[in-house]
Amino acid sequence: MASEKESYLILDVNSHQTKAAFIERTGDEYVVKGTNETPTTEDPPELDVTIGVKEAVRGLGQKLGREFWINGRPSSAHRFLCSSSTSGGIYMNVAGLIRNISTESAQRAALGAGALLQDVFSYNDPQPRFKMIERMRRLKPEIFLLAGGTDGGAEIQVLSMAGLIEEADVKPRFGEGYKLPVVYAGNVDIRDEVSKVLPEDRYATRAVDNVRPLIETENLGPAREGIYDSYMEHVLVHSPGYDKLVEWVEGKIIPTQAAIGKILYAYAQERAVNLLAVDVGGATTDVYSVYDGVFNRSLNADIGLTYGIGNIMKEAGVENIIRWIPRDITERKVRNIVGNIMALQPRSLSDEERMVQQSAIREAIRLGLEQHRNYATRLKGVRLLRDLGMMFAQALEPSILNLKMTRVVIGRGSVFNDPENLAIAPLLLLDAIQPWGVTEIYVDVSSILPHTGMLLDINREAALQVMSKTCLRNLGTCIAAKGKAEEGIEALTVSMITSGGVSVEETLTYGELKTLPLGARESARIVASPTKKFDVGVGRGRSLETTFTGGEYGVIIDARGRPIEMPIRKEALSVWTDSLKPKTVVNKAKT
Amino acid sequence: MTVSRFGVKLEEETLIRKVRRIPTQGEVYVGVGDLVDTETVIAGGTVRNPEAEEVKVFAKLGVEPKQTERYMLKKEGDPVAKDEVIAISRSFFDRFTKTCRSPMDGFIEVFLKNVGRVIVRGNPIPVEVRAHIPGRITEVIPREGALVETKGALVNGIFGVGGEARGELVFAVDQPREPLTTEVMRESHKGKTLVGGSVVTLDALRMAAEMGVSGIVTGGVDQKDLTDFLGHEIGLGLTGEERAGPVLIITEGFGVYPMRNETFHLLRSHEGERASINGTTQIRQRILRPEIVIPLKG
Repeated sequence: MASEKESYLILDVNSHQTKAAFIERTGDEYVVKGTNETPTTEDPPELDVTIGVKEAVRGLGQKLGREFWINGRPSSAHRFLCSSSTSGGIYMNVAGLIRNISTESAQRAALGAGALLQDVFSYNDPQPRFKMIERMRRLKPEIFLLAGGTDGGAEIQVLSMAGLIEEADVKPRFGEGYKLPVVYAGNVDIRDEVSKVLPEDRYATRAVDNVRPLIETENLGPAREGIYDSYMEHVLVHSPGYDKLVEWVEGKIIPTQAAIGKILYAYAQERAVNLLAVDVGGATTDVYSVYDGVFNRSLNADIGLTYGIGNIMKEAGVENIIRWIPRDITERKVRNIVGNIMALQPRSLSDEERMVQQSAIREAIRLGLEQHRNYATRLKGVRLLRDLGMMFAQALEPSILNLKMTRVVIGRGSVFNDPENLAIAPLLLLDAIQPWGVTEIYVDVSSILPHTGMLLDINREAALQVMSKTCLRNLGTCIAAKGKAEEGIEALTVSMITSGGVSVEETLTYGELKTLPLGARESARIVASPTKKFDVGVGRGRSLETTFTGGEYGVIIDARGRPIEMPIRKEALSVWTDSLKPKTVVNKAKT
Repeated sequence: MTVSRFGVKLEEETLIRKVRRIPTQGEVYVGVGDLVDTETVIAGGTVRNPEAEEVKVFAKLGVEPKQTERYMLKKEGDPVAKDEVIAISRSFFDRFTKTCRSPMDGFIEVFLKNVGRVIVRGNPIPVEVRAHIPGRITEVIPREGALVETKGALVNGIFGVGGEARGELVFAVDQPREPLTTEVMRESHKGKTLVGGSVVTLDALRMAAEMGVSGIVTGGVDQKDLTDFLGHEIGLGLTGEERAGPVLIITEGFGVYPMRNETFHLLRSHEGERASINGTTQIRQRILRPEIVIPLKG
């Protein structure tokens, strides 16, 4: 029988929905016994988040035939955890000394903690001080993160930035009667001085370890924890009903995006792989990455598939939306469809509208990735010792994002909850991200990734197990070749021998996309032999021998080169779509 | 496309309440129970001028920053005119006089003693808010504004641009499926709110702007035409600040869409009456749709 401490009632409260999940140990496995979703009740007329929490928890109990709501609160028989994101992230401002050094580290800490960055300030900002003060005054953050100076390093400049916050008299989002929470994560030697500059009656300053204790070292964990603490103590408690909720939960309520980041990081660490995850919602696009053990998150706050779709067209350009549509269509028509998706938020779409939306998905991810490239960078300000060989190495690229070395790609967000989008999810992700080499492709359609992130700290095994088995839907593994050639020129040959002894071989010409059948529970020995103009991750013309498992779409072989050149004939786009059909059963073999 | 028309109302007669407030603290000119017209000023005040300039006084005078204070002729809060001397240094019996002058009309907002600089800010900008709809004041918001209440017809559009406008409701077409083109526009439409049918063309929008048409209500508009008319991409569904010409409200969507019969006929039944319209749109949380209000007579 399951111990009472091995059952977990976990909630995620976002701006629209409150979702409860019940996870329990059954035998050797942790199983999601059920989930239940109800509208969030933070806004009028209810104005009490716990009303929605109660509905979600009681409803879940009814579904499972159990009593989860006892004496006006969640049953204490289970561990009760909660994440929350009622406005798309924590509204934060960040300040540091040097834009590319301490400010950038502070920015990474804030985004990793689930921030929606409003603005970023630096001592070396080219704008005059009074302009920065004006910018600060316009914003009402929930939390301000101040960094700057290595430990024992710059003092006057850091105090000057603290003085800037004070001079601007930055007001907290919750109104003038509250203190502005400031997390100080700069030079530890001047904590007291910083506290003096930011008077206690107006600022709730929390000092944590420096995000940049040395120029060569970045230490983001304490700043993130500081942000979580300030979020709990100074932000959440002012939201209706959270004072009660805070008392019910075990540990901290952390932002949903931070919980997602935590589980993605743990998953990448557990498997020792590089990972890239994109979360495309109606109004925002989040990108998470883990490369060589370094976690990064970025947020494109106004890029999304409903409210934000007009902004995708604005940022990407209408021609980039049109390029993915597999039929001739006028610019006028595309613009009208985009405008209507934004203004009308349709419940269902025609074929043409669907095509426009799917093009916008690709562009939303591409824009998100472009932005992420600027956040996921190697530490700047560090002197690099490099020899001639390293001059050309990827490691010296400013961004640590490396699409050749991306083993795992995960798509999530409301767009993948739509069956029509889900059906071509591998193509959408491949087109938008364009990874090359070997990449496993997953989508998360469970909506309980934040729940597993909350579970992580108290039961890592359970969290990772649920994530792997319930959250991630394995779509397949892709071998993609980088290179360019004339149309019809042979690009690569892939031969596969499955664990069941079935042998398959396919030769692809440049521009082709094919799949080989291989189920998620099957493994196969693969040899990918590119021609001399192509590279599958081990060098031009060099063969790659590897073993991996399949997925719903089997093994995807992408010979469209990198970057993908758009075909002249629109029909080729339909051929790509048709090439990617789910293949989970080995039904044909060439020997 | 199956449309969820959330946040969209069509009411023949309803109680309409409008909060009218200035974006600062100032003076309220009305009291509870007062009857107001659309143009009645409810409240007024001033807002900070966003234009400001930092002046390196020490550099102009050629002195050390910390010595600047002794040469200052103006102090914080003093009004200054463009080119007025704000600091002066004299030496060698006035032979080497150096001055620092104000770059604009405004006032000395801050004098930064230690760095020898001043910030000159433009004069405060007056703001006021009018009633927009005729009715009765039911509540006063101290120093900010008031609540106006009236009975009338209310029609929400799907999307709009431009802020508030008021004008007589005039029909430019006979049927909901007819487009609003330059051919159906007349000089007499100046200052009016023009109701069209299925779409308004780019040329018609431009002509309306030239003629001074106050507002346009149609079933649709081509998104490209609207972009060309505004001169920029719309991007997010947040509008209201556009000042390209008439307020535009579309009731059905982007493209050519005949106005729904109910909407067309409701508006038609108020032809010749004065309408208060607002193109401001917010599509996200706390959705806000553009609206046409036609107060009941009497």
